[in-house]
Amino acid sequence: MALLEIRNLHVSVEGTEVLKGVDLTLDSGKVHAIMGPNGGGKSTLAKVLVGDEAYEITEGEILYEGEDILELPPEERARMGIFLGFQYPVEIPGVSNTYFLKAAVNAIRKHHGQDEMDAMDFLQLVKERAKRVKLDESLLQRPVNDGFSGGEKKRNEIFHMSVLEPKLCILDETDSGLDIDALRIVSDGVNAMRSEERGFLVITHYQRLLDYIVPDVVHVFVDGRIVKTGDKELAKQLEVDGYAAFEEAAA
Amino acid sequence: MEAVAQKTSVYFEEFNARQHTLGTWCEALQRRGIEAFEQRGFPGPREEAWRKTNLKPVTDAHFPLAEGKGAAPQGLVARLGEVGDCYRLTFVDGRFVADLSDLAGLPSGLTVTPFSEYNEQAPERLVSALGSRANVESHPFVALNTAFFVDGAYVHVARSARIEKPVAITHIITADADGRAVYPRLVVEAEEDAEVRIIERFIGDDETTTLVCPVSELSAAANTILDYSRLQEDGSNIINIGTANLASQRDTSLRGAFVADGAKLARLDLIADLEGEGGEIDCNGIYLTDGRQFSDFHTWFNHRVPNCYSRQRFKGILQGRSETVFDGLVKVFECAQKTDAVQENRNLVLGKRAFAHSNPRLEIFADDVKCTHGSTVGELDEEALFYLRTRGISVESATGMLTLAFAGEIVDMFRVPAVRDHVRDVLMHRLGVADINVGAIL
Repeated sequence: MALLEIRNLHVSVEGTEVLKGVDLTLDSGKVHAIMGPNGGGKSTLAKVLVGDEAYEITEGEILYEGEDILELPPEERARMGIFLGFQYPVEIPGVSNTYFLKAAVNAIRKHHGQDEMDAMDFLQLVKERAKRVKLDESLLQRPVNDGFSGGEKKRNEIFHMSVLEPKLCILDETDSGLDIDALRIVSDGVNAMRSEERGFLVITHYQRLLDYIVPDVVHVFVDGRIVKTGDKELAKQLEVDGYAAFEEAAA
Repeated sequence: MEAVAQKTSVYFEEFNARQHTLGTWCEALQRRGIEAFEQRGFPGPREEAWRKTNLKPVTDAHFPLAEGKGAAPQGLVARLGEVGDCYRLTFVDGRFVADLSDLAGLPSGLTVTPFSEYNEQAPERLVSALGSRANVESHPFVALNTAFFVDGAYVHVARSARIEKPVAITHIITADADGRAVYPRLVVEAEEDAEVRIIERFIGDDETTTLVCPVSELSAAANTILDYSRLQEDGSNIINIGTANLASQRDTSLRGAFVADGAKLARLDLIADLEGEGGEIDCNGIYLTDGRQFSDFHTWFNHRVPNCYSRQRFKGILQGRSETVFDGLVKVFECAQKTDAVQENRNLVLGKRAFAHSNPRLEIFADDVKCTHGSTVGELDEEALFYLRTRGISVESATGMLTLAFAGEIVDMFRVPAVRDHVRDVLMHRLGVADINVGAIL
């Protein structure tokens, strides 16, 4: 059974169709990259997968571990193991990063019938994972993303991911705005999590990130649908040729 | 000029018919109070400062003075402990109750006395302080209080006395005061170089409709630290219309913590006078309303001399169909150069039919000042809510978390730890998040 299966997904926002029949099957242990021009609907797909209610699903299915999740609220999906690293992580003044994560971890544990995590164990876990993405420890006590630099916010997303240990990791333009050093740190964080029990959907505009997070499958996403699927060589070809040929085909 | 038959108010008649219970030392003042009220009357609907406050429940009825002290039920008495270890002065239906008070071991330099303990002669400094700050002549509710108070609390801190343990003055309203009026009065004087923490708190029976009109006058001499927490946690049918005057002198640090949680109609007129250079008045407040509650904060911050600092930060959390007003003035007099004043009012409207009025006002007559004000009325940030949910947190928890975070910024400013802890509890209870363990974020 696939970890994620998207079948003929059509999505509208305010009456305009943005996803026009997306099909995608992602197995555990695999990294899929979705590449495409801006405005093509890549971020919409990410938001829809985690349950953003701003979008209207007009047709199709999303199966997660064989279960239809379309009717489930975002928090349910998260507890089942779906995670989105936001393109623009939200600042939440007044809620400390650590407290927030603790609430999230315990909500997920509760869902799986586990007890709340011991405070000391939790602190240890958080510190260890923060180190992995070279997130300054002072940022743990600060309000979530509040006053973080662009790079810190992206690292914070990967940090959250590594604490929550989801099964399906969706990364939306995690590379945008990162310098080469930060890109390496973020990629190392992701690579450290690659395993047979986990699948990744990496959304990016540029091939650059895929030098560090090497994908098993690359999809070209143009105008609301996947127009071509290939291996990592496809990404390199795109880097040279650009999206123009696909955009013409789609138009 | 034609002679017109003078119609007198029910309050005037009540005043003349009543038995004066306090000593002769305040007779003249009380007479001044009723005459001022008779002259002034209740505010009309067109008076700017009262336009948004619906006074009909007050003016349509007569609230005669509560006759005596009712028996405070155990549930209310137990709440006295909520603000921690304090020197305690407790009033029930406006009258001092020794059994519920605890003034044991008052340190030297600290005087805490109910007015009713002064028989024929009160200390001269109390007599001269009473009514010296509060505006008896132009504020009708100050006038009424001045005419009718039957007791009060006098706190005096001697020069250089540093009092760490807070002094808590609690007013309990019982069912015996239903349909009646209670007039709490507080005078606090801190002499030069002193330090003191005052908690003034209002609690009471939820079924009882009482008109509570507190008047508090606090004055801080040079180089003092005076911390004042005013916790309006009245029963849900109370009408509480109060005034508080704060006055600072040279290098004074005067801090205010304000909470409005109870009552069906509540208003506080807060007047802060900066009268000595280098003085600072820093006030933070939070109001929580639900159902059909109405809460109103009116402030007048007067920078009368140069080089003073003032802060007003008030936040509202509105649920149900409640309505709130924040109307705040910063006035900088012509001579008050180098004034540093900030006023902020932020409202979080959770109830679809709740309504927040926010009206910041600046009147600046000096040219070298730093004054800013900000005012917002908004709902919960949908993006933040979604973000929290995508990490597994439920809508209820996420809402509670964001709301507490909004309030936390103010609560963190409260300087008395026991007050801070108590207000957090009040918030959690009010927001229905008591059992989801979100306490740690505040």
